[in-house]
Amino acid sequence: MVVNIQQAVSQKTAGFLTDEKIVIETLNLFFYYSSDSPALKDVNIIIPQKKVTAFIGPSGCGKSTLLRCFNRMNDLIPGTYHEGKVLIEGEDINKTGIRLERLRNKVGMVFQKSNPFPMSIWENVAFGPKVNGITDNTDLDEMVKSALIQADLWREVKERLDQSALDLSGGQQQRLCIARALANKPHIILMDEPASALDPISTGKIEETIDELKNQYTIVIVTHNMQQAARVSDYTAFMMTGEIIEFNDTRTLFTNPDKKLTEEYITGRFG
Amino acid sequence: MSQASGNISYFRQKGDPYVLMTSLALLLTLGMVVLMFGIILFQGLGFFWPRDLQEITLKQGEIYLGEIWEEETVHFKNSQGRLISESEIQIKKGNRDLSGRDFIWFKKQDISDQKSPPLATAFERMEYGNFYGYITGLNLGDKFIEDSAGNLFQQSSKALEKAMANREKREDLENQLNQLLAPLAGLQREISLLEIDHSIEPEAQAKKIDQLRMELQNLERKIEPDYQKYSGLLQKVADENEQLFLLVQTAEGAEVHLPLEKVVRLYQPNRMNIFQKTGFYAGKLWEFIAADPRESNTEGGVFPAIFGTVMMVLLMSIAVVPVGVLAALYLNEYAHQGTIIRLIRLSVNNLAGVPSIVFGIFGLGFFIYIMGSSIDQLFFSNKLPEPTFGTGGILWASLTLALLTLPVVVVATEEGILAVPRANKEGALALGATRWQMIRKIVLPNAMPGILTGLILAISRGAGEVAPLMITGVVKLAPSLPIDASFPFLHLDRKFMHLGFHIYDVGFQSPNVEAAKPMVYTTALLLILIVIFLNLLAIYMRNRLRKKYKTAVF
Ligand SMILES: Nc1ncnc2c1ncn2[C@@H]1O[C@H](COP(=O)(O)OP(=O)(O)O)[C@@H](O)[C@H]1O
Ligand SMILES: [Mg+2]
Repeated sequence: MVVNIQQAVSQKTAGFLTDEKIVIETLNLFFYYSSDSPALKDVNIIIPQKKVTAFIGPSGCGKSTLLRCFNRMNDLIPGTYHEGKVLIEGEDINKTGIRLERLRNKVGMVFQKSNPFPMSIWENVAFGPKVNGITDNTDLDEMVKSALIQADLWREVKERLDQSALDLSGGQQQRLCIARALANKPHIILMDEPASALDPISTGKIEETIDELKNQYTIVIVTHNMQQAARVSDYTAFMMTGEIIEFNDTRTLFTNPDKKLTEEYITGRFG
Repeated sequence: MSQASGNISYFRQKGDPYVLMTSLALLLTLGMVVLMFGIILFQGLGFFWPRDLQEITLKQGEIYLGEIWEEETVHFKNSQGRLISESEIQIKKGNRDLSGRDFIWFKKQDISDQKSPPLATAFERMEYGNFYGYITGLNLGDKFIEDSAGNLFQQSSKALEKAMANREKREDLENQLNQLLAPLAGLQREISLLEIDHSIEPEAQAKKIDQLRMELQNLERKIEPDYQKYSGLLQKVADENEQLFLLVQTAEGAEVHLPLEKVVRLYQPNRMNIFQKTGFYAGKLWEFIAADPRESNTEGGVFPAIFGTVMMVLLMSIAVVPVGVLAALYLNEYAHQGTIIRLIRLSVNNLAGVPSIVFGIFGLGFFIYIMGSSIDQLFFSNKLPEPTFGTGGILWASLTLALLTLPVVVVATEEGILAVPRANKEGALALGATRWQMIRKIVLPNAMPGILTGLILAISRGAGEVAPLMITGVVKLAPSLPIDASFPFLHLDRKFMHLGFHIYDVGFQSPNVEAAKPMVYTTALLLILIVIFLNLLAIYMRNRLRKKYKTAVF
């Protein structure tokens, strides 16, 4: 289900999104790690379908926090709570009765530091489908293969699917993590600085992969690297101290920002 | 001076003395361990080596034949105040049934003559310890051979083999007879129970008793031929063995009648060469490991104790690992980390400091008196008032030890769980795994080395524990093993023997402590070896797992 675009446009941002379908929407979202001060302050954002949306902003401004609100990973940290709403495909993901496993199956995540499990490559990619109830081995083989192809890793590992994933290089490990998320056939993929620990060549490969994926998936990527945001994303949100300062299509945001803060940030005057 | 003290303080500041102290402390610890293990090794391994037999004549005219066990020098001041040193020696002269004591001390200076006669023979017996003397005659049933020159050793050894074969035959026959008679005893028991049962009507009671009596008679008639056959055979074997005996002359010159059936082993150590001695040693060692104990545990083997120890440790592991792991998982993965959990964790850790006898008493009270009695009421009421599970047994002892070692397993498992990278756990959850799936597939395999460390510590602790076992099921001599061929094969209610308790019992409770001393060392050595073996097994498993689940490195 996709939210009526008029409804979204009536919110504060995003006149530029009129032609897009919306998959994620937050309404007056506040998030607290502890009660003293919110890590997210009144965030209202809409994320368009099958596009790449980037979050940029200085370190500690709440990019990861916002991202982790979309698959409720923040729930794992004891003592946190939120106010406001997060709608994914029109559904309030915090209402009672939501099954977390279903949500996370639909909203995949790639972490900043690649985290392959200490198992074989095959086992890593098949992990998601397996925990979600698929047991047939030929089905699993098929899913593993197609996920690895999409993550552009198949060529490199097809001969050694049964070898430990820990023997892969850093960049390969990260692409394995992308493949692992893809194997679940998610609608949305959240990426939290997926290339920040990688060398330029591996980073380039990841960016290529993202480019290929965006026709099929909604991708939300956090990055502190503005060139990267400019290269891979269609839309960019600039955040500071827990707030969305400016959200626009990437081109406009980088060439002709509305707000002074944005301009200062992208021209490197602070950050 | 100031220069020197400056040097010293500089020296101290650098920390060199402390480095020295750490190494000294390590040296001390290592030294103590090596010393203890060395003593146990030396004493324990030397026990089975055949010692030469010495015939010693004292100036007072007494003659002893036996093994020299110890030499000691005592120092004292005489009446003029001069320091005098005297050597004393201890010999094991055996023949307890004749003179009452196995061991004797005397002064070295009193010895007028000492030799090691080649024909001196040592006899290990079923009862009364060793016998030492010279074979002068051998009765083989159909003939009696006499030879005071002492050439009867070969023939006697052969006759001993026959006597031993007969003894086995006899034990077999006795077993068969017992099995034959067992149903009779059961029926008789039923009748006597009925006779005192006042809850049914007298008429019905009488009728039932008559009926049972009939059954009993029928059964008696049925087994009569078999009974006759077996007891006939038994009588024959017994008669045959009665005719197999030796005449043995002691060093003092007394002639003794020695039935071969009562002899376990006879040997002439003074005539043995090194290979024969080695063979003898191996035989004794094998007997020690594989045979049942004799002579209130001071002789023979410790097989039942080995069996009991290993089985108890295994049962304990089976009980403690799942419980400990689940508890640790709850503490770390499910529970809300707050004051209560901290308190619980503290209590669990402190459980490790509770004296083990307290666990024993708890085991007695809870497992035996409460759980055991309830089980008896529910499932074994036909055997009451004789308890089945309502008394000490290997199950209750194992569970008590499981409780005792639980903290160790919990703490080690918690450490293992904490070592699992958070990124992996989050990764699994982010893929839509439930908490339990995440625990099963990520946490448990990665925490396995920690769990096995816990198991290793638990085994080391559990295998050496004695105090709690003494009140929950260990006995000096168990009539049968906890596993045997009779249904249901695994008898968890049975009492069992244990090497640790064996050490205590033989060393401090035996009537003949002197003779038992080597047995204590040997048993201690064996217990240490078993603990080491079990540990190595667990360590091997852990290393294999470590290789499999080595954590991610860039
Ligand atoms: N687990 C946590 N517990 C408490 N505070 C946190 C936690 N994670 C992040 N924060 C705080 O929330 C704010 C936003 O963090 P984060 O979303 O990680 O920033 P970013 O990803 O933009 O660098 C920071 O001030 C950070 O200190
Ligand atoms: Mg971040």
